[in-house]
Amino acid sequence: MKILIINSGSSSIKYQLFDMEEHAVLAKGSVEKIGMLGSFLKNHRNDGDVVKLEGEIVDHQAGIEYMLGVLTSQDHGSLKSLEDINAVGHRVVHGGEKFKESVLISDKVISKMEEVAELAPLHNPPNLKGIYAVSELLPDVPQVGVFDTSFHQTMPDYAYMYAIPYSLYKKYGLRRYGFHGTSHRFVSNRACSLLNTELKKQKIITCHLGNGASITAIKHGKSVDTSMGLTPVEGMIMGTRSGDLDLGVLTFIMNKEEIGVQSANTLINKHSGLLGVSGISSDMREVEKAAEEGNKRALLAIKMYSYRIKKYIGAYCAAMGGMNIVVFTGGIGENDTLTREKTCSNMEFLGIKIDREKNKNTKGKEDIISAKNSKVTVMVIPTNEELVIAQDTLEIISKIGKG
Amino acid sequence: MKETVERIEKYALKKEAGKSYTSETFSKVGIVGCGNLGQEVARMVSNTGVDVVFLEVSKGKIDDALSGISKDLDNMIERWGMTESDKRAILSRIDGTLEYSGLKGCEIVIEAVKSKTREDSVGLRKKIFKEIERVVDKRTIIATNSTTLVITELSSELDHPERCVSLHFISPAADVPVVEVARSLHTSDEAYKRVCKFARLLGKRIIPVIESPGIISTRLIAPMINEACEILMEGVADMEDIDATMKIGFGFPYGPFEMADKIGIDVVVRWLDNLYKEFGDIKYKASPMLKKRVRASHLGRDTGVGFYRYDLNGKRILQEKRDPCL
Repeated sequence: MKILIINSGSSSIKYQLFDMEEHAVLAKGSVEKIGMLGSFLKNHRNDGDVVKLEGEIVDHQAGIEYMLGVLTSQDHGSLKSLEDINAVGHRVVHGGEKFKESVLISDKVISKMEEVAELAPLHNPPNLKGIYAVSELLPDVPQVGVFDTSFHQTMPDYAYMYAIPYSLYKKYGLRRYGFHGTSHRFVSNRACSLLNTELKKQKIITCHLGNGASITAIKHGKSVDTSMGLTPVEGMIMGTRSGDLDLGVLTFIMNKEEIGVQSANTLINKHSGLLGVSGISSDMREVEKAAEEGNKRALLAIKMYSYRIKKYIGAYCAAMGGMNIVVFTGGIGENDTLTREKTCSNMEFLGIKIDREKNKNTKGKEDIISAKNSKVTVMVIPTNEELVIAQDTLEIISKIGKG
Repeated sequence: MKETVERIEKYALKKEAGKSYTSETFSKVGIVGCGNLGQEVARMVSNTGVDVVFLEVSKGKIDDALSGISKDLDNMIERWGMTESDKRAILSRIDGTLEYSGLKGCEIVIEAVKSKTREDSVGLRKKIFKEIERVVDKRTIIATNSTTLVITELSSELDHPERCVSLHFISPAADVPVVEVARSLHTSDEAYKRVCKFARLLGKRIIPVIESPGIISTRLIAPMINEACEILMEGVADMEDIDATMKIGFGFPYGPFEMADKIGIDVVVRWLDNLYKEFGDIKYKASPMLKKRVRASHLGRDTGVGFYRYDLNGKRILQEKRDPCL
């Protein structure tokens, strides 16, 4: 059973080819700079063969066509023919309220996805382009859509509603949706299987800290609250995003600096966060380096970053009436020992006690970093969103008898 | 293992893979004349990920245009509209050339030159169109940004006039989300569709128009500026108050005098001259208030003086106004 996973962005497509029986990634790669000068495709086969294909890639369809071409090629391929692909799984950013779980893609599903696209105008249309292209090139292969938002569809209304006129929720679907759902789902599941405990009995807080960052409260296996909202700008401080912000600040800036909606959007999405505060970088490693060298704003950015996480952990602990497990994942969550240490410091009253040595030695691998006598188990678990998409795809096509 | 690099074409599933779409996309856009509007268009097109090459008459003009674009981008960064890395990416896609051959490979070439007189502007543009046609593919769209000159006339001497349209951006082109697209008597449906696709790529609402001098925008704005001059000349009100009435009363972002300074008073006069010549209506006869300023080279923001005064950065120097009630 071979499943191809596609994550189609505005000018790039990332892909992985899974062999589900062997639990192996046969090949992975990306198509970059689609429709631009200097476009290329890079494929990594699991035996170490790496090839870069240069040439004009005019659109997503051409990109996917070349991707299929290289995957079935004599020299760099992993498949004998296209018929070896049993299914294709797509990452779709926004599923709105229409998609509460992963779905088998049909014409009806595509038109529903098109309706949802206005909630994520930057992300969903390129996701759809990937789906259109596969429909054209592999018309007989079943496709599955896996949504970043669907895991959070279990949030209760009092957690997902904004306190704005209710009519606007009705009119535009304005509410909190949350993102990184596949990641939160994966690490919470993985944590329980590593601890050999039942997901349904746990209260888990998962911290996905990457370039974007979100925290989710998972009670008995279900997301009951998450820090991102309608868009990925709510919640945590991120590389270049502000996270939670008094709306009055934004209207004040728009008024004083005489800027419009677009610039305001760029301001909170690209000029803010770690970069905006430190003035150094959006990359936590560089901000930490500057802080070590005595840069005060870098130090401030680091303090603000972990303080925000700490506040949310407290809030979600209250929301769930306790917690048993805290998981760190994402680039920063998996590798940045300082952020984890700062976040978990002085949290003994809530049952979190970190083993500083273990924390220092855990980078990019699964491990428990809490002390033996910590009531809450704190863990590091590298995320694997592609695997979740592949598993969902397998499950869905098995149900329809194509698996 | 070492990474190998190969050409992508042989990995196509079908022989014609990729190629069939080529003509429908835009990867390189040419601009002839890189003054204010040319620079705005270059910046906007490059921002969509498409390469831009602009033609200018001297090395100095190329440098001016590049530094103008760079300055505009800095302003946007300062006003939170973009980031340093966006700027680098945009600039990396823009190149200047002194030769028409530099326009080779463009899917669309936009003429945006500024000329002094009507005679000059028709003749000059016809020549430019011919030069462009010599170097580009026969399907390449050739567009003009001019509104008061009709595209049928400009394209009449080409071998393939069916690929010509008038694509009129309104300054500041990057911020105004509307563009007038006019077809000539020769324009083919295919060319028109491709231009509309290009305009949509830029995120513009397309206003489809039948070619007519001044189209919509110029024909409405030029007489308004002219009429504002009449009001001023009759002593009904001063410039500030006329501008304020239109801005506050009708929600215009600029009053007529501010607008004239921004567009360039010489340009406004040329528009009016063209409209007068085409329609023969006295309402298009340029006001002496405008002509006087053109003669004095008080052309507006670019020259530092027009109806108002401006500093080196093009920012208006405000003068204190007396309270009318005192």
